[in-house]
Amino acid sequence: MFKKLIDNAAAKSPWLFHINAGSCNGCDIELVAVLTPRYDAERLGFKLAGTPRHADIVVVSGPVTVQSKDRVLRTIEQVPDPKVIVTLGSCPRSCNVFKGSYSVAGPLDKYVPIDVSIAGCAPKPEAIIDGLALAAKILKEKREAMK
Amino acid sequence: MLPFIKEAVEQLFSKPSTEAYPAVDVPAAPGYRGRIVFHADKCISCGMCERVCAGGAISTTSEETEEGTLITRRFFLGSCTFCASCADFCVKNAIELTTDYHMVARDESELVVTGTYLKKKPVKKAAPAVEESACTVKARDDGLPVNDPNRCVYCTLCAKKCPAGAITVDRKEKIWKLDEDKCIGCGTCHEVCPKKCIIM
Amino acid sequence: MEFTDILIYAVYILIFPGALFTCLFGLWLAGVDRKVVARMQKRKGPPISQPAWDFLKLCGKETVIPAHAARGVYLAAPYIGLASLIVTVLFIPLGGLQAFSTGADTVVILYLLTIPTLAMIFGGSASGSPFAGVGASRTMVSIMAYELPFILVILAVGKGMTPDGYYFTFSLEQITNVQSVFGPNIFDWRLLPAAVAMLLVIPCEVGQHPFDVGEAETEICEGPLVEYSGKPLAVFKLSHAIKMFVMTALFCALFLGGITTGMLWLDVVLALCFCTAVTLVSMTLLNAISARWRVEQLFKFFWTVVSGLALASLLLVWFC
Repeated sequence: MFKKLIDNAAAKSPWLFHINAGSCNGCDIELVAVLTPRYDAERLGFKLAGTPRHADIVVVSGPVTVQSKDRVLRTIEQVPDPKVIVTLGSCPRSCNVFKGSYSVAGPLDKYVPIDVSIAGCAPKPEAIIDGLALAAKILKEKREAMK
Repeated sequence: MLPFIKEAVEQLFSKPSTEAYPAVDVPAAPGYRGRIVFHADKCISCGMCERVCAGGAISTTSEETEEGTLITRRFFLGSCTFCASCADFCVKNAIELTTDYHMVARDESELVVTGTYLKKKPVKKAAPAVEESACTVKARDDGLPVNDPNRCVYCTLCAKKCPAGAITVDRKEKIWKLDEDKCIGCGTCHEVCPKKCIIM
Repeated sequence: MEFTDILIYAVYILIFPGALFTCLFGLWLAGVDRKVVARMQKRKGPPISQPAWDFLKLCGKETVIPAHAARGVYLAAPYIGLASLIVTVLFIPLGGLQAFSTGADTVVILYLLTIPTLAMIFGGSASGSPFAGVGASRTMVSIMAYELPFILVILAVGKGMTPDGYYFTFSLEQITNVQSVFGPNIFDWRLLPAAVAMLLVIPCEVGQHPFDVGEAETEICEGPLVEYSGKPLAVFKLSHAIKMFVMTALFCALFLGGITTGMLWLDVVLALCFCTAVTLVSMTLLNAISARWRVEQLFKFFWTVVSGLALASLLLVWFC
C-alpha cells in the first residue's frame, strides 16, 4: 500500500529542472509563463527546482551547442532516478534552423533518449502544460517499474 | 510595504486569474500557426515548400509505379519553425497551418504529417517530347527569358515574382507568355523557377 | 516509573504531540502556507496536501551520495535535525498540554532550535559542493542575525511576567500560568514590540522568503541542500515544515497562551488555530509580497530594527 502511495506521489509532485542548451530564449520565456498566475503550473504540483539533484523532469531547450553539450549531459546524469527528459520546442528534437551549423552538436536524441517532445517554435504554454502532464504520467510509469 | 499588503489581502479574497486549462480546452487565437495539414490532392509537386523551409522540415520521397509517380511529402513538426513560409509560397494552397497547438509526443512518428498523391504519366501526345531531351528551347540572343514547355508545371511562380509583371501564365490552357516590352531581363523568373525550365 | 507512565510518555513522544502529529500538522501548515501564498498572488495554488505528496515522492527517489561527501555526516544530519525538532515540540505547551517541563524550557528550546539549522550546515558542508559551502556560511550568518533578537524576546517575556516586575522565569509552564491570570501577553503594551520582533524572527528561523538567504534556489542552488536527493532531502523538507509548526507554537505559548475554555481538547484545537493564524501573518504574507534579501541587508535589519524592537520591550518591562 505504501509503495502505491509513493507511486501516486510521483505523478503528483514532479519538480522541473530547466536547461538552456543554447536556446534563443523563446521557449524559456514560455516555460516561465507556465508558472505565472494565468497558467499556474504549481496547482498541478510542478515546481522549478534549484538543482538537478532535486528534479524529476529535465526540460531541455535549445539545439545543444558544442559548448553546452558536455554540461547538458552531465546535468542530466546528476538527476536521480526516476527521471523524465522533455524537449521543449523544435531545437533539441532536431536542431531546427540551426541544423548543420559548425557550433551545434545536437540533436539531443543522439546522446540520451527523449521521453516527451513538445513541438512548437515556441510552444504555447497550454502545449507545455500538456507535455508536462504527459511527463508526470511517464514518471509514474517509471516509478512503478522500479523494484 | 503597505500597498503590497493591501494588494495581497485583496487578492486573497478575490477570484484567481488562473485558467483551468487541462480541464477546459482553450482555443488558440485566430491566425495562430500550429499543426500543419497537407492537402495532397492539390499539390502540383513544384517543390517550392521544400526550398523555402527554414528548418528543413519538409522532405519528399517518390516511388515509380505503373500509373505514374507516387509522391509522398513528409512534414516533420519537430523540426518546424512554424514560420508558414511553405504555406505562403504554395501556389495551390495545399499547405495549411491550423490553430491546433496540441503537439506533444512520446514518439517521433506522432510529430510527422505526411501526404501521398499520384503524379500520372503524361498521356500519349507529349510523351515523346519529354523523353527526347531535357531542353527543347534555346536561349535568346537578346537576354530575355524563354520557357521550356515540356518541363514547365505552370506553377505561376515566375509570374508572381516578376517585378515588371511581364509574364502571364494560364494554368488551364498551359500557356506561358512573355511581354517583351515590359521585360527588363532581371532574371528573377529564372531564379525562382522550381523546375529550372526558364532559360536565359 | 509505573508502566502507565511509560505508556503515556511513549504516546507523548511518538503520537501526540510528538513525531506523528507534528509531522502531519507541519505538512498541513506548509500546505496552507503554499495555498494562501498562491491565492495572494492571484494564483489557484497547489492542493493543501501538496507538501505531503512532495515528501512521499522524495521518499521514492534514488538517493545519490556524492563521491567527495563525508558519508556518515551527510546521511545522519537530516535525521538529527528532525529528531531535535520533535524533541522541541515536547517542551512547548500546546493549549496547556505540555509533554515535558523543566525549570528552564525557553533555554532548552533555544538550544534545541539551533540543532536543525546546524544539522543543515554540517550536512551541506559534508556534501563537498561549493554551493553548499556558500549556503552553509550564509546560514551561519542568518543564525547570528536572528539569534540575538530571539534571546532578547525570550528575556523580555520572562521578565515581564508579573506586574511587580521582580519575577523572572524561563519556564513556559509558568509563563502560560501567569498569562491565564493576567491575560495573553500580546495585549500587554510593553511586550508588543517583542511580539512584532518575534513575528519577524519566525520566518528567518524557518528559512522562509524573504529571509531564506541560505537556501536561495535561484542564486546558490538551494545552498546546503544542493547535493541532497531522495530520503534525506525528504527529511529536510519535512523538518522545514515542522519548523513552521514549532516556531508558531512557541509564539502562541509566549504571547497567546493561557486562553482556556475548560476543556483540554478544545484548548489544543484553539492553540492549533492560533498557530495557523500566526503562520499566515508572519510567514505567508511576507512570503507573498517580498523578494529575497541580500545577506548583509538581512544581518543589518535583524541587528538594528528587530533587535531594537526586542530591546525596547525588554527595557519597558524592566523600568515600567
